[in-house]
Amino acid sequence: MTWTCEQTELNLTDYLDGLLQPEQQRAFDLHVNGCDRCTPLVASVSHAIANLRSLPELETPPRLVYNILDATLGPRDTVTGWAAVRAWIRGFASPRFAYGMVSVAATFLMIVTASGFNWKKPKISDLSPANIYHNSNRAAHRAYARSTKYVSDLRVVYEIQSRLRQDNELPTAPEGTLPESTPQKDPGRTDGTNPSTPRQQNRANDINSHMQVLAEELPILSGRFCFVVNGTLSVMSGGGRTR
Amino acid sequence: MEQDAQLVQQCLQGDGSAWEELVRQHSRRVFNICYRFTGNRTEAEDLAQDVFLRIYKTLGSYRSAHGGFATWMTSVTRNLLIDHYRRTKRDRITDSLDDALPVVENKQSSARRPDEQALLGELSNQVQSALTKLSPELREAVILRDLQQLEYSEIQTVLSVPEGTVKSRINRGRIELARILQQMGVRPS
Repeated sequence: MTWTCEQTELNLTDYLDGLLQPEQQRAFDLHVNGCDRCTPLVASVSHAIANLRSLPELETPPRLVYNILDATLGPRDTVTGWAAVRAWIRGFASPRFAYGMVSVAATFLMIVTASGFNWKKPKISDLSPANIYHNSNRAAHRAYARSTKYVSDLRVVYEIQSRLRQDNELPTAPEGTLPESTPQKDPGRTDGTNPSTPRQQNRANDINSHMQVLAEELPILSGRFCFVVNGTLSVMSGGGRTR
Repeated sequence: MEQDAQLVQQCLQGDGSAWEELVRQHSRRVFNICYRFTGNRTEAEDLAQDVFLRIYKTLGSYRSAHGGFATWMTSVTRNLLIDHYRRTKRDRITDSLDDALPVVENKQSSARRPDEQALLGELSNQVQSALTKLSPELREAVILRDLQQLEYSEIQTVLSVPEGTVKSRINRGRIELARILQQMGVRPS
């Protein structure tokens, strides 16, 4: 099918609205791609339509609806007295106002609770500025202490997990190649180093006590069973038992 | 569409709240058509009010079997806009002498209300300006198709012309708009 510039111009709207037949569409594309006159025409019209469609839809002027209603139904009666009060109260029933009130109430509750106000045994004295300050201060310190303890507990758990990982990574020595005991050294020390300094020993004891507590409270740790025998954390992994 | 027809029936029986509902639902659409046609906010507001006054008076002549209420309302809006265009033709001839000077045009543009300026932005301003330079018959066709997104059959009903004429006007309107925008320096990137 031969296609001319006049046909392009005549069928431009059908082309842009996707209403051309497939055969016409092919002929249109073939012509436009090779025509110096039609290529910019199609581009500029597409651009113009895109610009046109990007125009924002304007909001109705606020007084327009009231002007129309006044002009058609006549001016509305002015509400006075109790009817006006009822209409005013009815205005608060809007969802927007209700959401606002709920959020204000929630914020108020959070602030009062954070200031240490006891809801079960409310006292007027709890609302005095000095008491609010003291209660808030106490609550803040308590929260700080709890968070510190939590972080410390996490650290202990992490250390235990690290040790367990290290134990797993150590190659299991065959029974025949077990190192001979060295009576002159401390039990458990095979590296020939001096015993730990008192500070290190204290830390080890501290970790040991944490292990006991955790082992009693957490029977399952990292998918293994662990228990304490003579102050040493024992771990049951799969079918075997390691110390 | 059925809801509109029901509201119209209630209006005809004297229900004021049904009329209020109709006004609230369609005032934005009518106002936008008027604004895009005239390019002037105050004029568009007055025209939108006149449109609803005419609709209120002629509501009894609406037949749902002949099409949707929105199409009928668009048709009333279009007729009123054309009447307004003819009525103010003399004023526009005087204005067109000023329009020929680009400097004066810029002054007119900057004389818009600040909220209007902020709302439209530079490109929107140029497109609106180009739109108002189209002849009324091309302008209304382009507004109904590209801004109001009406189908060809609906535009045919609103303009009371055959579908071929509708397509031809939209086509010519778009090409003319592209040409005006190019003259204004708005080119495809």
